[in-house]
Amino acid sequence: MNVTIKLVGIFQISRFKEAVHEYPSGTRVRDLVDELRISGPLLGIVLINDIHACVEDLLNDGDTVCLLPFIDGG
Amino acid sequence: MKYLTSDPAGEPSSILYSRCTVDFKSGKVQMEDIPCRNLEDVLGGFGRSFQILAERNISQAYCGENPLIVNTGLLTGSSAMTGMRTYFSGYSPVKESKKGLPAAMWSAGSGNFGNKFKWTGLDELVFEGCSPNPVYALIRETAEGPLVELKPADHLLGLSTHDKIMALQKEYDNAHFAAIGQAGEQWENVYFGAVTLSTDNQLKSGTDKMRFAGRGGMGSLMGYKNILALVAQSSDKLKPLTPAVKAVNINVVKGGGAARLQPISRGGGGGTWAAYDVLQVFHAVPVNNFRPQGNDLPEKLFRSQVEQQFHIKSEACHRCGITCHNNVYEMKEDGSPGEFLAKFDYEPLNLLSTNIGIHDAGLATQLIHLSDNYGMDSISLGVTISYLLSYNERHPEQPLLNGATFGDFEKIKELVEQTAQGKLPEIGRGSKRLSESTGETSYAYHVKGLELPAYQPETNPGYAWAIAGGHMSMGTYGLLTREGKSDLESWVHGITQTKLQIVGFDMIGLCKFFDITKGICTQMVVDCLKSELNLDVTAENIAAAVRRAFLRGLALELRQGYEKSEYTLPAEVWERPNPNIKLPNITNPEFFAELQKRIWDIFEPELARL
Repeated sequence: MNVTIKLVGIFQISRFKEAVHEYPSGTRVRDLVDELRISGPLLGIVLINDIHACVEDLLNDGDTVCLLPFIDGG
Repeated sequence: MKYLTSDPAGEPSSILYSRCTVDFKSGKVQMEDIPCRNLEDVLGGFGRSFQILAERNISQAYCGENPLIVNTGLLTGSSAMTGMRTYFSGYSPVKESKKGLPAAMWSAGSGNFGNKFKWTGLDELVFEGCSPNPVYALIRETAEGPLVELKPADHLLGLSTHDKIMALQKEYDNAHFAAIGQAGEQWENVYFGAVTLSTDNQLKSGTDKMRFAGRGGMGSLMGYKNILALVAQSSDKLKPLTPAVKAVNINVVKGGGAARLQPISRGGGGGTWAAYDVLQVFHAVPVNNFRPQGNDLPEKLFRSQVEQQFHIKSEACHRCGITCHNNVYEMKEDGSPGEFLAKFDYEPLNLLSTNIGIHDAGLATQLIHLSDNYGMDSISLGVTISYLLSYNERHPEQPLLNGATFGDFEKIKELVEQTAQGKLPEIGRGSKRLSESTGETSYAYHVKGLELPAYQPETNPGYAWAIAGGHMSMGTYGLLTREGKSDLESWVHGITQTKLQIVGFDMIGLCKFFDITKGICTQMVVDCLKSELNLDVTAENIAAAVRRAFLRGLALELRQGYEKSEYTLPAEVWERPNPNIKLPNITNPEFFAELQKRIWDIFEPELARL
């Protein structure tokens, strides 16, 4: 299945802003996070098709996953 | 502090704090050791000062009976990382109820002043009345204990915050400083003057890298009292790092909630500036007076854009390994840093750039620099200006003041300078008063008279119950955006239980970045208190004390005339819902009305029992 991945802020450094990757069915968000070597403490928000989600959620063909860093304070 | 017990929750009166009261009316300077009434007194900060303020009936901020209370927290001056906080409390010139009564406020800042203050042996300094002449207070350690003296300060009049500090540094070695700027001196027309705190970096480099206790106009209150600066002179008394505190500090830097605030070069998130990128995904970065337009304008202030033109250096408060500061320098041809321009934190950056239509980093550094050096709260300043710009956009035929509009840098800069010089009370007295004078209050972005920080109110109905400003006294600013919570239960629980605990940091002497997600009711804090002070206290004891302190703040608001109807958001939020914000709408009137009911149902019985 094809999944569009959007990375935000620091996650784009040495990676990409947006890309389409192919995965087997049964893939979870965590698999993408691991594959991209995104640090757990830095991962603040997961969106699947613009809806808040979590790293254990299963992905479907055509999904768009957006990974955002944590935000804190001011 | 004098500790005659190791049980601060069970025997608070066996712990005494050292207070000095300077009474300008009688000319007396009185030193006392005061037994703590409860754990809140022991913890310090606003937990103690608000109990003092609650004993006063104050109907206007600028009166002799309104004290300025300067104090520290239990872990200020300790080896615990970030333990550098100083607190300034009093009835606020800027925050007021619709009845016109001033609200109690505190403001906190880091820098090295808090350490030095604590190491003089003093825990609290209370100024009563007003000095007839400009003075600064010298707090120093002596063989007999802390000593407070008043010194003439005519030579400091008219100097910027930074210049005051540099002038005092020439007179005092081994000292740190707190100072107001020209804005605080113009207290009659500037209600949001800030107190500036010196840093080691500033004193060594001679550049204006200061820290601020900005919110609520404590610098203006200081100016009203004719106190231009404080000097804390003492030897350093940092204890050797114990294994327990060392473990905590490592956890703060590497494993705790602050890891993501670390510099990008260390694998961190790069400080608070990173919020720009995240909030922009939801079109929730404030633009043109909190009206995001659904376009890419905020991206011009993304770090990745700015660092193409400027050198960004990650720097830290003294001894702090979090290193959350993003200092912006001119970039030389070889890429090395040139002149220091400004520090980019999310709030001041947004409110003095994107939210007033400025999308140029160089221009933003100029406005931040001006605000810092004149000594103003950048949040109240930025939001009041954005209100004015919004008014002028709506009334092009009859604009206010110099007719500035969004993005008109030269005119906005003129507004900033004239406000600081006391020439524009329309801005200097804050957005509540300005909007009431125009009769157009719906788009004045304050809650309870205090301007909102740079998180859209549509994302944070918790603002309404914040007792000292949005992101510093109600940690719900990420509940929708970050955690995706849009149900009533989560918001009731957040506001009444978990997220109010953020104010614990404004008692104990630690910065919020010590562990912003978990607060101070943790084993890390328990371990620090045991190791540093031999105090046995549980996380549950601390949580209960923080809650009592918060509720006292809420009770104090109600006593100062706030009606329940004032626990609300700017009306534009529901009168003109913004379709560009890509998040569930949790600020519609129905949701908010139910939220209000549920929250007061929980708070009111507890308030009655206080």
